[in-house]
Amino acid sequence: MRRMPIVVRELKKTYQVALQRRGALGALRSLVNRKTRLVRAVDGISFEIAPGELVGYLGPNGAGKSTTLKILTGLLVPTSGEVQVGEFVPWRQRRSYVAHIGAVFGQRTSLWWDLPVIESLELLQHIYDVAPGKFRHNLDEFRKLLDLDAFVDTPVRSLSLGQRMRADLCAALLHEPPVLFLDEPTIGLDVVAKERIRQFIRHINQQRGVSVVLTTHDLSDVQKLCQRVMIIDKGRLLFDGQLSKLQERFGGRRQVVVDFGERYEAVQVEGAEVTQHEGQRATFEFEQGTISASELIGRISARYRIQDLQVREPDIEATIRRIYEQRLLG
Amino acid sequence: MGRIFGLYRRLVAIRIRAQMQDRSSFLLETLSTVLVSGVTFVTLALVIQRFEGIGGWSLGEIAFLYGLVEVSFGLMDMIFSGFDPRDFGNRVRLGTFDQMLLRPVDITLQVFSSEFIVRRLGRIAQGAVVLAVGLHLVEIEWTAAKVLYLPLVMLGQIAFFGSLFIIGSTITFWTVESIEVINIFTYGGAEMMSYPMHIYPDWLRRFFTYLLPAIFLNYYPALYFLNKPDPFGAPGWAAFLSPLVGAGMLALSLAIWRVGIWHYQSTGT
Repeated sequence: MRRMPIVVRELKKTYQVALQRRGALGALRSLVNRKTRLVRAVDGISFEIAPGELVGYLGPNGAGKSTTLKILTGLLVPTSGEVQVGEFVPWRQRRSYVAHIGAVFGQRTSLWWDLPVIESLELLQHIYDVAPGKFRHNLDEFRKLLDLDAFVDTPVRSLSLGQRMRADLCAALLHEPPVLFLDEPTIGLDVVAKERIRQFIRHINQQRGVSVVLTTHDLSDVQKLCQRVMIIDKGRLLFDGQLSKLQERFGGRRQVVVDFGERYEAVQVEGAEVTQHEGQRATFEFEQGTISASELIGRISARYRIQDLQVREPDIEATIRRIYEQRLLG
Repeated sequence: MGRIFGLYRRLVAIRIRAQMQDRSSFLLETLSTVLVSGVTFVTLALVIQRFEGIGGWSLGEIAFLYGLVEVSFGLMDMIFSGFDPRDFGNRVRLGTFDQMLLRPVDITLQVFSSEFIVRRLGRIAQGAVVLAVGLHLVEIEWTAAKVLYLPLVMLGQIAFFGSLFIIGSTITFWTVESIEVINIFTYGGAEMMSYPMHIYPDWLRRFFTYLLPAIFLNYYPALYFLNKPDPFGAPGWAAFLSPLVGAGMLALSLAIWRVGIWHYQSTGT
C-alpha cells in the first residue's frame, strides 16, 4: 500500500459571513451594500500525521473540525497555509487525490439513496476502477467484519443509521485507501452500534495500516480508539499529543475520597482542597505533580482517623471542559 | 473515453431503473405531462385559428416552430436533468454535491449523469405531435440540405437550453433565492422561442439577438425551412448559425460552471 503522510502547516480558513440588517429597509440595504464579517474557522493550525496513526480530532461544535476535514479531503480551498497528503495537495489535484483516500461524513451517505447497498458498492467499484479480484476480496472481508449480509439487498433509504454507517464505511474502503477521514462516525448511534464501528476502525487501522483521522465530540471514541488526540477550539489547536499527556499537561486534578472513622466538624489538609464534605465522607482534590497520592494520604491519616478511601483519576471530560473554559477566559 | 461513456451509461441506467420501479405512477405522470402541454397547444391553436394566424404566420407554420422548440426543450430537460437548477440547488444544500467531489470522476460528468427524468418523454411526445401537425399543414419544399440541417438545429437548441440550465445551476453556488429569476430566462425563453420573434417589441427582440442570441436558434432557421422572407434583412447565413450558437453557449456555460465550482470550493456553504 502507498504510504501517505499528512503534513499541515499554518493552515487558515477565513469565511465572509453576510451581516443581516434589521427590517424591510435593512434587507434592501443589504442587497446594495453588503456588510460582511470575517470568521476565522481555522486560524493557523499545524500538525503532521504519520502513516498508520489513528488520530482523534476533538472539539466543540463550530470549533473548526469540519472545516479542517473538508480541506484535508480536497472539498475546500484554504485561505492560506500548506497541506500535503502523500504527493498531493488535496484541493489542487482533487480528482486524482480522492482516489487514494476514503471519507465518511457521518450525516451524509456516499451511497445511492434508492439502490440496494450491494448495487451501490458495485457502482463504486466502477467509479474507483477497482480490479474485480481485489473488489471481491475486500467486499468479502468487510461483509464479515461489518455484518452487512443482513441488509446488503436493502435500499439505502430503508437502513437504520447504524446500518447505513456500516455500509458507508465499507464503501469508503473498497478501493484500499491508505488514509481514511471520518467526520463524526458514531454520532447518533446507540452504544452497541458505536462499539461495532469502533472495532472496525481499530481493525482496519491495525490490520491494514490505514491512517485514520476522525472528528468527534464523543470522548469515549477518543478514549477507546485513539493513541493521539488533537483538541481544537475557535480554530486553534489547543493540544496535540497522547491522551495520557493531556492529563499531565492540563493538570487534571486527582481526587482522594475518604470515609472517616468518626465525624469531624471541618477537615483541612495542606496541599489539597476539600471539594465536598458530608457526614463522614470528604473529597480532597489535588494537582498532579504538587503532591503524590500516598503523601496526601499520609497527611490525612496523621490528623484524622481513616476508615476507607479511594483514589480517583481525573475525568477526561472535565479536563477538556476546563481547557475550553480557560480559553474562554483568555 | 470508453470508461467515461461506460460510467455515464451505468449511472443513467440506475436513474432510469429507479423511476421505473413504480411503473403505473410513471405512466400516469408521463401521460399527465402529455395532456397538460397538449391542452396548452390546443388552446393556442384555437386562438390562432380565430385570428387567422399570428403576425402573418399560419397555424401550420407556428406549429412547426412551436413543435420544434418543444421537442428540443423536452429532450434537453431529460438529458440535462442533473443540471436542473432547482434540483441542483437542493443537492448542494444537502451535501450530495460534496459527495460527488469526493469521487475520482470528472464532476461535470457526475452532475450530468446524476439524474435522467424519463417522464419528460411526455413533453417530447406532445411536441413531436405538434411538429408533425405543422409539417402536415405546411408544404415544406424539402431539399437534402434541409433534411440534414433539421437535426442540427435541434442539437443547437438542446445545447442552448442546456447551457441555460448549467448557468442556472452555477448561480445556486452563490444564491439559492435567485433560482426563480434564472427560471424566467430558461422557461420563459423557451416559451418565447416557440413563437415567431418579429411579433415582439424591438427591445425584447434585440435582447434575444445580441444578449441571449436565441433568435438564431429558432426564428432564422424557421424562416429558412418555411421559405419566408426575413423582415429584419439579416444576411442569409444567419439561418445556419444555430449549431454554432448552441455550441458556443454550451462552451461558455461550462466555463462559467468551472468558475462556480472554484468559488464553491473557496467559500463552502
